[in-house]
Amino acid sequence: MDVSGLIASHAAKFQSVTVEKDTPPEVDVGFLIVTDLNPIDEESYGADLESHLQKLARDGTQALISKLFSLPTTPSPDGPVAQLPPPTTQIPRSKPLPKPKPPTKWERFAAAKGIQKKVREKKIWDEEKQEWVNRWGKDGKNKEKEEQWITEVPLNADVNFDPVKVARDARKERVAKNEKQQLQNIKRAQGTSSNTLEERKKQIERTVATTRISTASMGRFDKRLEGEKKLKGVKRKFDPAEAPADAERNASLALLNKMESDAKKTRREPDAQDSVLNVRKAVRFASKGRGALALAKDSRSKSRNAKGSRKSR
Amino acid sequence: MLRTVRPKNARSKRALDARAPKEIEDARTAIFVKGTHAGERVSSVMKDLMALKRPHCISFSKKNDIHPFDATTSSSGSTSQSSLEFWAAKNDASLFVIGQTTKKRPHGLTLVRMYDGRVLDMCEVGVEEHKSMDSFKTPKPRPGNKPLMHFASELFDTHPRFIQLKSLLISLFNGEVIDSICLNGLEHVISVSLSPTPAGLTTASPETTTNLNLPKVHIRAYTTQLLPSGTRVPRVELTPMGPALDLVMRRHQDADTETWKQAMKRPKVVKKDIESGLGKKRKNMEVDEMGDLRGRVHVGKQDLSKLVGKKMKGLKKGSGDDNAMDLDGEDAWDIGGKKKRKIQT
Repeated sequence: MDVSGLIASHAAKFQSVTVEKDTPPEVDVGFLIVTDLNPIDEESYGADLESHLQKLARDGTQALISKLFSLPTTPSPDGPVAQLPPPTTQIPRSKPLPKPKPPTKWERFAAAKGIQKKVREKKIWDEEKQEWVNRWGKDGKNKEKEEQWITEVPLNADVNFDPVKVARDARKERVAKNEKQQLQNIKRAQGTSSNTLEERKKQIERTVATTRISTASMGRFDKRLEGEKKLKGVKRKFDPAEAPADAERNASLALLNKMESDAKKTRREPDAQDSVLNVRKAVRFASKGRGALALAKDSRSKSRNAKGSRKSR
Repeated sequence: MLRTVRPKNARSKRALDARAPKEIEDARTAIFVKGTHAGERVSSVMKDLMALKRPHCISFSKKNDIHPFDATTSSSGSTSQSSLEFWAAKNDASLFVIGQTTKKRPHGLTLVRMYDGRVLDMCEVGVEEHKSMDSFKTPKPRPGNKPLMHFASELFDTHPRFIQLKSLLISLFNGEVIDSICLNGLEHVISVSLSPTPAGLTTASPETTTNLNLPKVHIRAYTTQLLPSGTRVPRVELTPMGPALDLVMRRHQDADTETWKQAMKRPKVVKKDIESGLGKKRKNMEVDEMGDLRGRVHVGKQDLSKLVGKKMKGLKKGSGDDNAMDLDGEDAWDIGGKKKRKIQT
């Protein structure tokens, strides 16, 4: 039986999906990238650029698609989804790698003591109500003492003893303490180098100095504490009267440059050719202090009057 | 004293978390900046590139006095690099495309890549020819669709300038790591090809070559058609979609080695992390001890008013009442009964 006819008809119906190249194109399926490392053919490039480029792109894309369709897939409502391997091309990150979160003081302590972390349930069983209630938050169990309608008062209690207030204050204090510890953990995580300590010292010294001269007598009649140092003011410093000529010239030039630079100028000086006439002053004089707009209006109305008189004649 | 910055509410906390460094990064947001004079051709190129980059792009359509290769201060008193850094921090973007036309360098397009809020590397190209996307009357891919990319020339593996260009273009269009892709969603391919390599351009002395003898870059975009081939793998046919760009290489700035080394650091991703969503937070899914993926689904609140209960004669409103008129044929059990009541009164 001759099947060559069948094969030929099949080949005519379906075009091939294989790509013939000297060096097979490099495919990075993870990034959906194909790199064809064959040198560009000068003849076809010169003959017809667009068709040459399209042919190159088609061959490369065919190689990529072939690789993609041979990957393991999972079905989905939108069609098969290919599972991609991690990319082989390396491109730089846009942000540094995330740093691991530094352990809190408790976590370090727990690690040293070998304490296992227990997940605390958010709900807690209430024996009286016979249901699960919040540990904290709305109708929380931690507010039980404040909300109950009768409270035991100690025998030796004060007349003004308010058990609700005491319970509430204790709860608020616990919250505040926890918040403070959290802040300290964050601060510790950011790290306190000697540099920041120095800065802090300087800051405290400055505050002390400010408070010492912030009385009516500017600190003259205040009680001096033991071991307190005398305040030192800022000493004025002057440049030496005699300086080398080039240093002086450089300083002057720097000053002139600064004055000439446009960076900090809010209003431009008038140009050199205009400097003979001070336009603003002239306008003010001509309009008798009413401004340029009024001047323009005046001149327009004058010319209109002139035209009108010509017509009437 | 060190100030500890803490988000005040959940929304700002989420916003800060979204900006925080991640192990597996999202796609880079690109800012398209127009220089003091962009010109028609460059504006059109930027519009087309933005159409390909959408939705991860921001357009700065006003004129900006920016010259990324010059270290001098502009008239506003800040250097171009510091402006770029400021914009990058404000917009959480790490890529810039700057269009600028000058007499000396007409139709210039600069790609700037950032790392950790600072400029990593830059590459300037000149647009020689451009055919816009609108001039091809073909269907365009949907925004956000991942393109395939094709690079053709041996120089993309050997010449440092073209290695950098390839890396920049990958960062621009395809730099996001994904773990799966829908095969029906492959709609377009961006092809980057070079003109034939000139004889003098050997790999021996890449530094000494000037921009003049570097080959041209042809960027084309095509839509793909997948035709049946009788096998599992389909045959691909391409249709030009636009834009079509012919570029020449101009100035560039390489990354300094230390920063580059830091930027190329890879996270150690273990198999467990891959299962639990590749470093990204995956909610309501967990892998149990048997290795099965389990999920929790929120089904929303049930609408009980639409519930059709069992109809019983005894519960009918009008039953037993001898002068009651059954006005609305009792089609459904109406719990609200508003309509009925209105008719009866």
